Amino acid sequence: MTQADISVELRPKLVGSRVKRTEDPRLLTGTGQYVDDIKLADMVHVAILRSDQPHALIREIRVGDTSSVPGLIGIYDWTDLEGEVRPAIPTSRMKGYYATPYWPLARGKVRYVGEPVVAVVADSRYAAEDALGLIEIDYEPLPFAIRQVDAVREDAPLLHEEAGTNVIVERTFMRGDIEDAIASAPVVVRGQFRMTRKTATSMECRSYLAEYDTRRRALTLWTSSNIPGIIRDALSDALDLPGSRMRVVAPDVGGSFGGKGSLYHEEMLVCLLARKLERPVKYVADRLEELSSSSQAFDQLIDGELAVARDGTFLGLRCDVIGDIGAYSIYPWTGGIEPVQVISFMPGPYKIEHYHGRVRAVLTPKPPTGPYRGVGRPSSTFAMERLIDMAARELGMDPADLRRHNLVSDGEFPYRTAPGIIWDQSAFQQCLAGAREAIGYDGLRVWQEQARAEGRWVGIGISSYAELTGIGSRIAVAPGMPINTGTETAIIRIDSTGAVEASFGIASHGQGLETTLAQVIADELGCAMDDVVVLQGDSSLVPMSSGTYASRSAVIAGGAATQASRALKGKVLRMAAHVMAEPVEDLEAERGWIRSRTSNAGMTFKEVARAVYLQMGTIPRDIREDLTVTETYDPFLGTACSSTHICVAEVDRETFGVRLLKYVVAEDCGRIINPMIVDGQVHGAVAQGIGAALLEEIVYDDEGQLVTASLADYLLPLASDVLDMQIVHIEAELPNNVGGFRGMGEGGTIGAPAAIANAISDALAPLGLGIQTLPATPERLFQLIRPHLNTLEENTK
Amino acid sequence: MKPAPFDYVRAESVEHAVATLAAAGSDGKIIAGGQSLMPMINFRLVRPAVLVDINRISGLDRIEDRGKHLRLGALVRHRMTASDAVIARDVPVLHAAMENVAHLTVRNRGTFCGSVCHADPSAEMPMLTLLLDGVVRIAGPNGEREIAAADFLTGSLTNALDPAEMVTAIDIAKPAPGTGWGFAEFARRHGDYALAAVSVLIERADGAARNVRVAVMGVGEIASRIVPAEAVLEGREPTAAVIAEAVAALRDDIEPMSDLSASADYRRHLAGALAAKVIAQAWERAA
Repeated sequence: MTQADISVELRPKLVGSRVKRTEDPRLLTGTGQYVDDIKLADMVHVAILRSDQPHALIREIRVGDTSSVPGLIGIYDWTDLEGEVRPAIPTSRMKGYYATPYWPLARGKVRYVGEPVVAVVADSRYAAEDALGLIEIDYEPLPFAIRQVDAVREDAPLLHEEAGTNVIVERTFMRGDIEDAIASAPVVVRGQFRMTRKTATSMECRSYLAEYDTRRRALTLWTSSNIPGIIRDALSDALDLPGSRMRVVAPDVGGSFGGKGSLYHEEMLVCLLARKLERPVKYVADRLEELSSSSQAFDQLIDGELAVARDGTFLGLRCDVIGDIGAYSIYPWTGGIEPVQVISFMPGPYKIEHYHGRVRAVLTPKPPTGPYRGVGRPSSTFAMERLIDMAARELGMDPADLRRHNLVSDGEFPYRTAPGIIWDQSAFQQCLAGAREAIGYDGLRVWQEQARAEGRWVGIGISSYAELTGIGSRIAVAPGMPINTGTETAIIRIDSTGAVEASFGIASHGQGLETTLAQVIADELGCAMDDVVVLQGDSSLVPMSSGTYASRSAVIAGGAATQASRALKGKVLRMAAHVMAEPVEDLEAERGWIRSRTSNAGMTFKEVARAVYLQMGTIPRDIREDLTVTETYDPFLGTACSSTHICVAEVDRETFGVRLLKYVVAEDCGRIINPMIVDGQVHGAVAQGIGAALLEEIVYDDEGQLVTASLADYLLPLASDVLDMQIVHIEAELPNNVGGFRGMGEGGTIGAPAAIANAISDALAPLGLGIQTLPATPERLFQLIRPHLNTLEENTK
Repeated sequence: MKPAPFDYVRAESVEHAVATLAAAGSDGKIIAGGQSLMPMINFRLVRPAVLVDINRISGLDRIEDRGKHLRLGALVRHRMTASDAVIARDVPVLHAAMENVAHLTVRNRGTFCGSVCHADPSAEMPMLTLLLDGVVRIAGPNGEREIAAADFLTGSLTNALDPAEMVTAIDIAKPAPGTGWGFAEFARRHGDYALAAVSVLIERADGAARNVRVAVMGVGEIASRIVPAEAVLEGREPTAAVIAEAVAALRDDIEPMSDLSASADYRRHLAGALAAKVIAQAWERAA
């Protein structure tokens, strides 16, 4: 390396800096544009009459006198849409899988409370809701099994008769001889674990607006989706329109957490109605609809068994999972997405030779489960990390030491887990060590002894996990899914004013990708960050796009941005070299300036652009290159992102309320693009994990009715429930992908529930009790501890 | 989640409001802070034909110190109750309770009288009104009347108002100087409706508890005084054994409901645990 090269290397980079988010000025000053902010001429509004039956045939739909509702435009049920739409079918290569067809409105039969049945269109949402009251539906109730343990039985009433069963996914992963491993192990711990049903609850409810252009016979859908590309392809099939006439735009989106990452009935519906009425049609879900019809999560019943040697070595793991996936297999991920992921990730970052994981995904009359931040791994990590703590107690070993003993260590990577996931080199051990050190683990154990002596129920909980992120085309992100999500295309162009416009297929919905990708581009291209505009969330930007999910965007779009920027920089420097009459090897670009290392010559990107596009004759035609580049990146495999969480919790002996006292996260997400954004992702995800651990629970009663239908009953964590947390960034060996990035948007929700459950269990360990169901509500803790209350009072006396 | 159509009248005076209510038959509804009413209207659980807005009526937004009692007008917001210096000095149990009342934005609009009228079994104001010998002042077509809080609160979400009446103010008694007080509440999250709350007033004379008041909320149809627990304490020194006896009487007296957030058994346990704490606290504070 020459002296000049070293000076370039040492210049401060944008990647790695706490750059303020370029999205924030518009979002924080109320000038962001969400779907509901878009108002088109002649726009009409939809309200939806939803099923109040969990399982019933629709006998008759009657509409009363509508003359009292001014502004009513039309009332539509499924018979009005026949022949205008094909169902969306979430196909998969999984054996024995049944793909439930997905229609805009219930077609002769309803399968959950909240399923859309009738659409009312009016010139205001108020009028549309007034008309809802005039519609009566005659249902013929059908038998149903609302709990998964009943729905899996062979004699259970069927939700989809065509499937012949409620169990539409059944898979088994095996390695070694689990029977022998368990039979011969000196210590075996077992338990039945469950994270109850949950939903994503973004601040912005689901919102859709469709416009039909009669001149071009083309539809545009504005949607609060994080997968506009996938939605475009699905609607193109369902409505039989080529992509050139079916555009899907996700403008500013107020959070998704996975809840806006699937196709929804109403997305199909507004498109159909806009085409039918030739007027723009808007639907915005209210909070009741959000809670009763958006995709839900978790609700797997996990029977787990862990076999351990006396020295702590994990010998074998067995788990049997029944996933309650609701009434439909969600599009496009299938109902296998959550439950199959549970058995895929159950062994976590640990070395376990013998494994048997079986999962059944069963239909029940509830809204479908879909992707939710962490997908399957919050549940698998909860079960596995609880088993590890139970084993530690049984062995008389410190739970941190037991983890250290079994985590995959440097020198053992790449490690292939029993279900077949390959962990590339990642800082499993360093994260555990980093979290221990940051929280002062050994000192905490001493403090705990003292607190226990004072009668306090205090505990320390650890959880370690790894996730597979930035998954390339080799691996389907959902089981057997035929849609490619492993590539990302970047189109970067410099226009005649010198502005840099970079287009992607991702769909940022709070991640700050407009900022982080601009950081990558500015560094790699050498332009000024202010000159870069990142365009995303629009299916018309690149030929094939999917969206932002599965911790993919920084890795794959970041890789595409890097490759495209490098190629474009080559073009810029070649053009500049000609204009400046300097050897191209001597040129370097930085922050919008191109300079020669060997002379005082220099010019701006803008001057290069003018030379290329406007000043004819400056660059001869035969060497002139347009300043545009298209690059597609495919990491082929995925990369591990790992973390350890440690939490200190106290259970109040009188109220059974849980208070979190300390929290540390140590994580390895590879090369950090923007530490401020990474911290924000960790903070937000841990907050959600706190919700899952202590508060949030979707409850259906035995009649199949949703009883947590408002935010007064479905409790989200408030600022007062979230504590100050410490984050340790561990940048160990960089992954073998273009940017060296690992995906890190989901992690906190994976680690937090398990760490908190272990901390509560540790607090209650002197009573011989532990947590098997989350959220650990005061009621659950009361019921768990109550049988021991008398003994406790005796002991206190 | 949009309301059904309704008429809106901005009342210029109490008389105007009452006349509007009377004209609406039983389909009129007063709106002050609207913190409970608006969600119910949006869910179409309540469908008033006329909404009578009293926010512009002058003179209702005052906390008046009337010597032995305080008068809280119908437009006194929770925020005013929470920050009032006289309440902080003379009715510390009310002052202490206010920080558990919802969140800042709700406190800025919600009113003391509105909360008592709404009569939610898990809200603080009805319990404190009972604890503080509240008297509800009511205006109607036939003039004004007064009614004791205990008679006003008739059940869960119901009160003794006639359709054409409105509450203009609530009087609460200042506890005698030196009265000990205690308040404790437990909710799933800070500011939520309580799973249980207990408030206590105790005077101390010759080493014994006098004029004991124990009120609870969240553990029955409506907030209530627990007379059997008060009787246990009255005239005795609240030693640990006496408190345990009072707690047993309280647990015996209440009839908590089981719902989504808590079982009756847990609520009974919780009310007792909170009572034990606040009785001891109140005794400690009594001079």
